[in-house]
Amino acid sequence: MTDTAPTVWELPPKPTNRARIALIVGAIATFTTLTCLPVIGGVELDFASLVDNWRNGARLGREFLQPDLNFLPRTYGPMLETLQMAVVGAGVAAVLSVPLTLWAARQTNPRLATRQPVRFMINVVRAIPDLVYATVLVAVIGVGPLPGLITLILFDIGIVVKLVSEAIDAGEHPYMEAGMAAGGTQVQINRGVVLAQSWPFFTNQWLYVLELNVRISAILGVVGAGGIGRLISERRAFFAYDDVGAIVLEILVVVIVIELFSNFLRRRLT
Amino acid sequence: MTVDEKATPLGVSIPAPPSRLGQTATAVVVGVVLLASAADLDIDWGEVWSIPGQIQRYGRLMFTDPDWERLPRALFETWRSVSMAWLGAILCVVLSIPLGMLAAHGVGPTWLRLTLRAVFAVIRAVPEVVIALLLLTVTGLTPLTGMLALGIAGIGTQAKWVYEAVESVDDGAPEAVVAAGGAIAELARWALWPAVAPALTSFALYRFEINIRTSAVLGLIGAGGIGSMLSNYTNFRQWNTVGMLLVVVITATMIIDAISGRIRRRIMEGAKQ
Repeated sequence: MTDTAPTVWELPPKPTNRARIALIVGAIATFTTLTCLPVIGGVELDFASLVDNWRNGARLGREFLQPDLNFLPRTYGPMLETLQMAVVGAGVAAVLSVPLTLWAARQTNPRLATRQPVRFMINVVRAIPDLVYATVLVAVIGVGPLPGLITLILFDIGIVVKLVSEAIDAGEHPYMEAGMAAGGTQVQINRGVVLAQSWPFFTNQWLYVLELNVRISAILGVVGAGGIGRLISERRAFFAYDDVGAIVLEILVVVIVIELFSNFLRRRLT
Repeated sequence: MTVDEKATPLGVSIPAPPSRLGQTATAVVVGVVLLASAADLDIDWGEVWSIPGQIQRYGRLMFTDPDWERLPRALFETWRSVSMAWLGAILCVVLSIPLGMLAAHGVGPTWLRLTLRAVFAVIRAVPEVVIALLLLTVTGLTPLTGMLALGIAGIGTQAKWVYEAVESVDDGAPEAVVAAGGAIAELARWALWPAVAPALTSFALYRFEINIRTSAVLGLIGAGGIGSMLSNYTNFRQWNTVGMLLVVVITATMIIDAISGRIRRRIMEGAKQ
């Protein structure tokens, strides 16, 4: 080997998309700036008040972190109501979700004229947040667990129908072809083949909405729709943050227990 | 050939159908729990039949003549809710990406991973409304409270998505960085970030969509925005204004969902050629 200079490799130019990156960053920055302008409705980022009041919050936070467990016996009744609402809501929604899902999926309802309205309704139902239903229904029906229950049912149907009908639409369906080849009508195919095949989707989503229901029904009481939320807002109004701490601790335990239970069921079912 | 099996005309025996005892038992247990819960709830079930009529009556009050006079105010408040949702999403994403990466297998030390995951699980279990109720002692009932509550409450789920995404990355690049002597920061920058960036961007937009709904809820408890306006006019029983506000909420949410969903699909699937 003679000592020639090492070959200089021409590196290919790095691909650049500076213009696009600048555009995206610019768009995000503009949007963020607009959200910080109180004049047009943006959030006033008043961090000075945070600095001024943090002592206040720290004191209440300390109280919150020392839950008064003696308060717990008073929470069992409302907590039971919360759980009952969650279970009944998930149950009713489960029953109603089956026909609606079959209506909303393309594979099981090839007729656009009946499918589209159902889909549109489901999208509208999903666009309204849970507590908004509860607030309006409490004003319409009156205070109590009933408006809370209806809220949960509407919310659950929105989730189950959307997710399961999309899952049915996404799959390959050789078994449906088998049903058609055997001369089944759409109704027979739906009942005999599709329902049997999509059973795991349904049970999965039903358990998921049961978990969600426990979380939601815990706060429905804040607007008067029954359950343990009423106690939260009541104790907070008295600045009894040690009691609030006890309630939140209880919700935490219940949510985690329900999650473990539903994970167990999910493993058993699939 | 056992007694259970039936002989077909062809002489071939078909096996006995599997026992459905387990399923039947489960169905009975579920049914009993449901009925017992329903019976014990403080609801007058006779009243239920009057509800469709009630809803129709109030629906007519709300939607036959919506109060468009107050639309400008409603749009102002909508922007306030959207701002809370956006800034809350930024806060949530900025906090949860580093925390979530540290909580992934093979990145941070075990004690840190377990602690972080426990913290995420606790945050996931506490409803956002409760977090907002706690925060408002510091900041008062302002949109800033709403934004902070959204930012903190979202960390539980967002960070979980982050560490699940990071854990699904192929081992090759991370091993190469570690073999070359990279520390956690270099590992995150050169191996993990390039692999998970599209997924994380998509999750960030999804967080924004979730926050749009939650920010309306926080408004109901007084954090400002469209939820506060809705709760006020519901309390005044001004149904035509409530109807207009519901139309605004539904339209705004569906438009934002559509735009954000489109961008997410574009990020995950790339541009259509």
